[in-house]
Amino acid sequence: MDNEAPHINVTQLSVAYGDQWVLKDVSMTVPGGQVLAVIGPSGCGKSTLLRVFNRLVDRVAGVHIKGQVRVGDFEVIGDHVDLVELRQKVGMVFQHPNPFPFSVFDNVAYGPRLQGIKNSTRLRILVENSLKQASLWDEVRGKLRRPASSLSGGQQQRLCIARALAVSPQVLLMDEPTSALDPLSTAKIEELVLTLKGQYTVILVTHNLQQAARVSDFTAFFREGHLVELGPTKEVFTTPRQLATEEFLTGRYE
Amino acid sequence: MTVHQKNLRTERVQHALFLAAAALLIALGFAFWGTLGWGALRFFLRHGLNRTILGLRYHPIRGQFGLLPFIIGSLAVTLIATVLAYPLALSVAITATMVLPRRWLSGIRQAVASLAAIPSVIFGWWGLAMVVPLVRNLGGGTGFSVAAAGMVLAAMIVPTLSLLAIHAAMRVPERWVEGSLALGATPDQTLGRVVLRSIRAPLVEAGIVAVGRALGETMAVQMVIGGQTFMPRSVFAPGSTLTSEILNDIGLLPPGALGHHVLDVMALLLLLAMYGLVLLVERIGGREVG
Repeated sequence: MDNEAPHINVTQLSVAYGDQWVLKDVSMTVPGGQVLAVIGPSGCGKSTLLRVFNRLVDRVAGVHIKGQVRVGDFEVIGDHVDLVELRQKVGMVFQHPNPFPFSVFDNVAYGPRLQGIKNSTRLRILVENSLKQASLWDEVRGKLRRPASSLSGGQQQRLCIARALAVSPQVLLMDEPTSALDPLSTAKIEELVLTLKGQYTVILVTHNLQQAARVSDFTAFFREGHLVELGPTKEVFTTPRQLATEEFLTGRYE
Repeated sequence: MTVHQKNLRTERVQHALFLAAAALLIALGFAFWGTLGWGALRFFLRHGLNRTILGLRYHPIRGQFGLLPFIIGSLAVTLIATVLAYPLALSVAITATMVLPRRWLSGIRQAVASLAAIPSVIFGWWGLAMVVPLVRNLGGGTGFSVAAAGMVLAAMIVPTLSLLAIHAAMRVPERWVEGSLALGATPDQTLGRVVLRSIRAPLVEAGIVAVGRALGETMAVQMVIGGQTFMPRSVFAPGSTLTSEILNDIGLLPPGALGHHVLDVMALLLLLAMYGLVLLVERIGGREVG
């Protein structure tokens, strides 16, 4: 399984909105099948970085991207990138649960249906498997026709994870996925991230340092658009190499 | 008198005022239905139901009160207007909310709102100058026709319909759009499968409101439809609607004149149709969208 989840290589990536550079000359590698936590103060470019990986950053008017990003051997940056193919490879989970105003089933089946899957048996199996993978199946079986909005916030977020997994991505981007959730729901999502490890390369932006410590294999610390430090999570948290990292981790910065 | 007592008194006066206003409105509603219903009843008792609602000849002086040409005229004009206006308004709304930069939106809304404020007589006037000659060239005849009325009405309801559709589309949160794109949907797929799907109910509602406006409009229709009381042979032939015929006959059939109450029948038919539309909107509006 491990070799299915691709490495992500970032080379001299810079991103600007208008003439304001929000990411500056970032180079890094995320090993396949691992969880990378991205931490840093607000406005450090974390979310922008995440949105470069699936090119959702294109939606911002006047955005410039320089440099190279590769997911496996798929070139992410460039004018002729097939965004549909990219976004099928690289799924995303957002800060606030954003299920569509449809039924639970239709939410999860949304991606597969886009890909032209119409066979109802196949869709049902896909939906069931995705919900099982997202640890939501036991809570929603028999309620698949209910509106997604009838689920709790934590369930909605796991539904969104199931929805992303139903497209069979190789990479999962998570943008502060638990910031809107209570501690119990947060714990469930963290457990879930641990089970997804290996099968997917996960990039998790988080404001919650304990979360980064609990679930990630690697941690990247960003400040003012620069990648300050990236290393195995244990090392970054116990023996940071940069003073700025240490200051941030000990709460003397922000 | 303490402040508290004073407040209590003000409150009591307020409640009485509100109650009076509500009672007045309810009484007005009953009076409306009552008057029209009574008039229509007297008419039906004297002239029968069949020859009226389903009759083809309308000639009050000769005692012929067939209303079918007007019913068909109203339906045809409304259908033409809605079919022409709806796609146009939807395109306006999609362009304004999804395609053009966000900062243009308020300008577009104001422009559309100012169009929606134009009195219908001005649309009729514009119809005389532009639409009637156009229809004359397209379909022959004088140009005063069911088609001309439908087109003028279409122009008249496009602004209202666009505004309603814009408001509906603005209710679609950005996070649904992003969620769809992030799953590999193209912008077109996102539009069809998330945006339009999630606002189906308000869009249907907007359509019903537009139908109501088209059905109830009188002046703009009367100015271009040609005012003929036979069943129109084609959309390019002149005709009449329930509303335009009421306007036409008010002077012809004053209270006391034989057949005066046919006006009550026409009014009641319109009222029933409108009430049906209102009920329909309420039923759809009752369903939660998001």
